Amino acid sequence: MRIKTTKEKRILIIKTAVRWLLYYVLIFFSFVFMTSGTLLKPVLLIPIAVCISVNNNQIGSAVTSAVCGFLIDISCDKLIGYNAVILTVFSIIISLLFELYLRYKFINVLIATAVVSFIQGWLDYKFYYEIWNYDNVELIFSEITIPVWIYTVISTVFIFLIIKLINHFLMPKEHLSLEEVIKTN
Amino acid sequence: MRDFFKSTRFKILLAFLAFLIGIMIYGVTKGGYSLSGTSFVNTITKPFRSAANSISMKIEHSIDKISNATEYYNENQRLKQQIGELNKQLTDYEALQDEVEELRKLVTIKEEHEDYVLSVPCEVLSYVANDPFKSFTINKGSADEIEPNCPVITSEGLVGITVEVSEHVSTVRTILSPDLSIASVCSSSAADTGIIEGTILDAANGNTRLIHVDIDNQLEEGDLIVTNGNSGLFPKGYAIGTVKSVSLDSSGLSACAEIEPCIDITRLTYVSVITDFDGKKEAETDED
Repeated sequence: MRIKTTKEKRILIIKTAVRWLLYYVLIFFSFVFMTSGTLLKPVLLIPIAVCISVNNNQIGSAVTSAVCGFLIDISCDKLIGYNAVILTVFSIIISLLFELYLRYKFINVLIATAVVSFIQGWLDYKFYYEIWNYDNVELIFSEITIPVWIYTVISTVFIFLIIKLINHFLMPKEHLSLEEVIKTN
Repeated sequence: MRDFFKSTRFKILLAFLAFLIGIMIYGVTKGGYSLSGTSFVNTITKPFRSAANSISMKIEHSIDKISNATEYYNENQRLKQQIGELNKQLTDYEALQDEVEELRKLVTIKEEHEDYVLSVPCEVLSYVANDPFKSFTINKGSADEIEPNCPVITSEGLVGITVEVSEHVSTVRTILSPDLSIASVCSSSAADTGIIEGTILDAANGNTRLIHVDIDNQLEEGDLIVTNGNSGLFPKGYAIGTVKSVSLDSSGLSACAEIEPCIDITRLTYVSVITDFDGKKEAETDED
């Protein structure tokens, strides 16, 4: 890492603050979207939590995912904290995976979102419907869980692009480019 | 000069002048109609004049736009602001109209059921995301004396029950949910009783189900199902829905009926909560 000047540090702090602010603005609008209307909707907060976890440290990711989880709990009328726990756990795993093994590519983010949203939907179906032995309970899975999962995976494309755009302008570069290395030396 | 006045040229010109005056006088006597020659010219030149006029008008407008741009801009801004204000007034007016309508319905309920203690009209804040049973939240809570397990109604019929109450927001479980059971009776044949309990299949169509009905029931399509009032959770005799079809249940030991709720639960904007009614406390005491 190149040693940063005071001015560069200040810019870095401002950029980081603005970046997180924009993340939370996006979270807010996604929550509003999820609480509007009566049609089936994607759980937008899952791809947001995943996309943020992919690019940030575990603590920031976990806190943000918890917030997203709480908002899902509110919008879906689930036990408060239920989705927060699920998302926090997954955000930490994803953050670590992308830090150690995976590259920041769209296909990896898409797969991660698909897996997380499927598990979240499946757990939701198990704990909120199947466990109570309702008649024709499998219809909930085929008519609600799966479509919502598909919508969520599709929505990842847009969320990924928005977060990538935010990161493009506001994410500090952690690694030196080849040109920078040559210049520094 | 004298030669000119005496010349033929002068006489011809004089004649022509007289001819023109004659035409003028003739024109006056036509009473507003063009002369045939004028008409002909007008007809021939009409398309050209029209095109030319169109072009000149456009040019004039362009010049006018450029020369009066600031004035138009200011006027545009003023009109936009005016439209915004009018739209806001219209929205406020419509909201007020909805509220008045709800209050009017409340008065009707109150007149029909004097024992009901009703909350102020509650606005439906949002439906629970991806809930198959259409639970929703309302904008009133414990601050408005709403408690858990209070019946939620509209003037048309029963909607559900409050399940989770915070200070200013409550969640309502609807009659489409299998988690809500309501003792019910047919309004026309009091012997036909049963339990209203939603199912996944019926909820998908916006309907609910009357179960545990006697196999020798008298239920017919269109019969009104009302609350029984036995549980103490719901007031007696409040409309729930109408019978859509009657069939045997899966065991074959009792009958069941598909019930179409009196209200479209997916399109609610305002509801009321019954915070107290005759029979509520007695029922609680009985349970104790």
